[in-house]
Amino acid sequence: MGEPIDCGEAVARLQDYLKRELTPELEAEMRAHLERCRPCFSQARFEQNFLLMLESRARRFGCPGTLRARILSVIRGELGGG
Amino acid sequence: MAEPSTAGRPFDAEALPHLDALYRVALRLTGDPTLAEDLVQDTMLKAYRSWRQYRPGTNAKGWLLTILRNTFINDYRRRKLEPVATDLEAVEPHAIYRAVEDVDPEGAFFAKIVDEKVLEAVDALPTEFREILVLSDMEGMRYAEIAEALQVPVGTVKSRLFRARRRLQTSLYEYAVETGIIPRREDHDG
Repeated sequence: MGEPIDCGEAVARLQDYLKRELTPELEAEMRAHLERCRPCFSQARFEQNFLLMLESRARRFGCPGTLRARILSVIRGELGGG
Repeated sequence: MAEPSTAGRPFDAEALPHLDALYRVALRLTGDPTLAEDLVQDTMLKAYRSWRQYRPGTNAKGWLLTILRNTFINDYRRRKLEPVATDLEAVEPHAIYRAVEDVDPEGAFFAKIVDEKVLEAVDALPTEFREILVLSDMEGMRYAEIAEALQVPVGTVKSRLFRARRRLQTSLYEYAVETGIIPRREDHDG
């Protein structure tokens, strides 16, 4: 069973919690705290929204098709040239 | 000469699926589409030539990113002597949540800032912070994967990520205040 944690501990764990890098036990303690602590819940939601925003900006780009073709051609060249 | 393969896994099948991620990371590291293309091409060529060193079953994406990052540091970084040490030691700003909890507790202002400005703010971070923020928060890599790719301890990844996010939030907050996306805070007790 996890121990109740205070706000200081919750804030210290927030980064790992949002990255899903806490052990199941520590994560359960964190969840329990967030369920009963409105200020910490609110801060966690703020940080989560920031991360969702960043993630969505990242996915709008990909490797250009011309670069992909060039890389394939260079690698095939390596193959042929020995 | 046969195509390099490791335990029957050809280079193409293992490496090519990561081209999008490699390009995105290269773009953020170099801040320039042409340099990013060259960096990705150099990375893929190096990876192809040393494909026999890749251990099957390990993380191909991490392995490729290690090559990309080392190539960037060695050959592409324009300001090799940027004031890294002092900059990394600087005191971090307070959490932006405290500044906006009364006016925008959900951080809706982040979503109102255009892509270009968000990416500019990311690009303005010192390299040591930027690379970790990009790998973690834009590419979804785990602490251990980042630590391996950058060859630094997990504790370093965590502390730099924390500070990178603080700095990025601060710079986006300042932009949002300047452009009127959120009201300037009345008190100056911070």
